[in-house]
Amino acid sequence: MRKDLDEFKKQKLVIGSIIAMPIVLGVVLPLVMFVPLVTIVPLERPWDVDGLLQIGNLPDDGSVPWTNQTLENVTFNQTVIKNKTLKNVILTNCIIVSCVLENSTIRDSSVQNSSLSSSSLINVTVIHSKGSGLDGRSILAVSSDLMFTKTKPSEIDQVLPLMFNMVLMIFIIIPATLPTIIATYSIVGEKNNRSLEPLLATPTTDGELLAGKIFSAFIPSMGSTLLAFSLGVTLLDVVLVPKVGYPLLPNLTWILSIVLLAPTACLMSVLACVLVSSKVSDVRAAQQLGGFIVMPVVVLMLGVLSGFIFLSPIMIVVFAGLFGCLDLGLFYFAKAIFNRENILTKWT
Amino acid sequence: MIICDRLTKTFGSIKAIQDFSLEIPDGCIFGLLGPNGAGKTTTMRMLCCLIQPTSGEAQIDSYEIGKKESAQKIRGMIGLLPEVPGLYETLGAYKNLDYYGQFYGVPKQRREESIRTTLTNLGLWDRRNEPVGGFSKGMKQKIAIARALIHDPKYIFLDEPTASLDPAAAKIVREYILELKNRGNTVLINTHNLTEAERICDQVALVKNRIVKVGNPKGLARGLFARTISITMQKIPPSLLKDISSLDFVSQAQIKGNQLVLNVRDPEVDNPQVISWLIQQGVPVQFVSEEEHSLEDVYMKLIEEADG
Repeated sequence: MRKDLDEFKKQKLVIGSIIAMPIVLGVVLPLVMFVPLVTIVPLERPWDVDGLLQIGNLPDDGSVPWTNQTLENVTFNQTVIKNKTLKNVILTNCIIVSCVLENSTIRDSSVQNSSLSSSSLINVTVIHSKGSGLDGRSILAVSSDLMFTKTKPSEIDQVLPLMFNMVLMIFIIIPATLPTIIATYSIVGEKNNRSLEPLLATPTTDGELLAGKIFSAFIPSMGSTLLAFSLGVTLLDVVLVPKVGYPLLPNLTWILSIVLLAPTACLMSVLACVLVSSKVSDVRAAQQLGGFIVMPVVVLMLGVLSGFIFLSPIMIVVFAGLFGCLDLGLFYFAKAIFNRENILTKWT
Repeated sequence: MIICDRLTKTFGSIKAIQDFSLEIPDGCIFGLLGPNGAGKTTTMRMLCCLIQPTSGEAQIDSYEIGKKESAQKIRGMIGLLPEVPGLYETLGAYKNLDYYGQFYGVPKQRREESIRTTLTNLGLWDRRNEPVGGFSKGMKQKIAIARALIHDPKYIFLDEPTASLDPAAAKIVREYILELKNRGNTVLINTHNLTEAERICDQVALVKNRIVKVGNPKGLARGLFARTISITMQKIPPSLLKDISSLDFVSQAQIKGNQLVLNVRDPEVDNPQVISWLIQQGVPVQFVSEEEHSLEDVYMKLIEEADG
C-alpha cells in the first residue's frame, strides 16, 4: 500500500485533480446553489395551521374576559358556557362566550370574546378572541389573534432539507467515483508496466496484495472527500447562519453519511474496480468498466433527487449496512478469484 | 535442491513444456538454454509458484510446488529476476529495493544496510532517490538483480540476466553470479547467451518444449562431436589427404587452407603416431591443436535435431 501511495504522490496532476474535484463539487457547487437561495427566499415564518381561515382583526379593546367560576376536568356537550374559567375540559358542540380556556380540547364549537391558551381546536369558529400556544385544525378565526405552537414551515425550511439531501449526495458520489481511476489501474497497470511478476513472486498473500491495492485507492479518495466535506460544511454554515440564526450543519444525517455511507460507498467502488483490474488485460478496458461500478451509488442519487428516497439517519444506516455487506462480499469474492497465473499469462 | 519430475504445462492446446525432469543440486549454477518459446520462462514461473503445472511434480527443499500451503515458503526462498526489470519507474532505487525488502519481511535495519551496500557497490548511492525511469537499461537491470537478492534467498532465478547489459556490466553481473555460487546459493539462469552459459554454468539443459539434453557445457560437446585435431603445415603435398585417410585411427580427414583437419579416435594416443607419420613423409609441421566445439555448436546441432 505504501508503495502505491508513494507512486501516487509522484503524480502531481492526479493529486491535483483528486483534491480539486471534491472541492469543486462539494464546496463551490453547493455555495453556488445556496447563496442565491438565502438571498432570494423570504425569511418569514407565517403562523398558520391546516384549514385556518382568518377574517378581520381583533379590536383594540379585546381584553381578558371577566369570569365568576372555575370549572376543571369536566366534559361538556351541546352546552352554552358564559363567564367561566375552564381548565382541562373537553367541549363538543358548545357555544363558549366570555370564557378563559386553558389546556382544553374544543371540537365543532364556537368561541366568542374569550381567551385561549395551550388548547386544541378542531373545527372551531373563534370570534373576537385571543389565543396562544394553540394546536388546531379547520379553524375559522374572525377578528381574533391566535398563536399556534405548530407553525407552517417557511419556504426556506421546506427547501433546505431537499437541497441538503442533494448536496449530501455529492459527498457520497465523490468518494465512489474518485478512486475508480486509481483502483482500476492498480493491478492491470502493474501488469502492463511489467512490474507485477516480481511482486507476485514475493511471499505476500493474495489478501495482503488486494488489501494494499484497495487502501492505496481508498485513503486518498476518502481523505480528499473529508477535506471537501469540512470545507463545504463550514462555508455553508457561514452562508446560512445569518439567515436561519443557528448552524445547521453537520447534522446527524450528515455525520452518519460521512462516517458510514461515504466510506462504504468508496470501498465498494474501490473493491469492484480492483476486481475488474485483476480480470482484464488492458488499462482502458478496466477504466471503461470502472464507469459501471458507481451504478449503485448513482441509483441512490437518482432516488434522492427524484424524492423517492429521503436520506434520514435511519436510511443512511440502512444503506451503509447494505454497502458494508456488499463490500465484505466483494472482498471475499475478489480474493477467491484472484489468480496469479491468469493475471500473469492472460493477455486477452 | 530442486527436483522436477515430468513437469508439464499446457496453455490450451499449446504445450509450453512437457515431461521436464531434472535435479539441480544445491550450490550449482544451472543454465536453461533454448530458443524463444522453448518453455524456459514457463518452467521458471512454475518453480516460483507463479503458475500451476498441468501435470508432474517439482520440489524445492522438499516443498512441493503447485500446493497453496507451500507456495509462500517457496516464494520466500527464491529471488526472481524476470525477463523485464519491472521496476517502479517513478520511485527511486532505494524505495524500489526497500519495498521489496518489506514484501519479503526483511527487518528494517538489515534492509537499510543491505540497500546501502548494494547501491554503493553499484555506484548508485548518490542517486538513490532519483526516479529509476531515467536510468539506463543496464542500470535498471542491476537494480532488478539487487531487488531479487534483497532477502538473501537460497535460490536465485535469473531470466536473461545480462540481456540488456553492455559487455562491462555483463561481466560484473557474471562475476556476481559466480560469487553467489561461492556463497552457497543455487542459481538457475535462463539465457540465450551461450558464451555466458559456457563460462559460468556448471550444468546446462537444452530445452525445446522438453529437455533435449542435460550436462555440463564441455561434456555435452564431447558426447556429440568426434574429437578433431588440426595440424598446421607450411605446405600440404597433394597426395597427403589420400594417404593419411588410409590410416586406421583416422576416421575423417580434410584440408582447410594450410591446415589438415583430422577426426581421430583418441587424440592422446593417436596424435603422436600422426605426427611421426607426417615427419616420416617429410611434411614440415608447424602447430598441432585440438579443435574445441563451443556450446553454440552443441546448441545448434541439438536444436536442429530436436526440430527434426
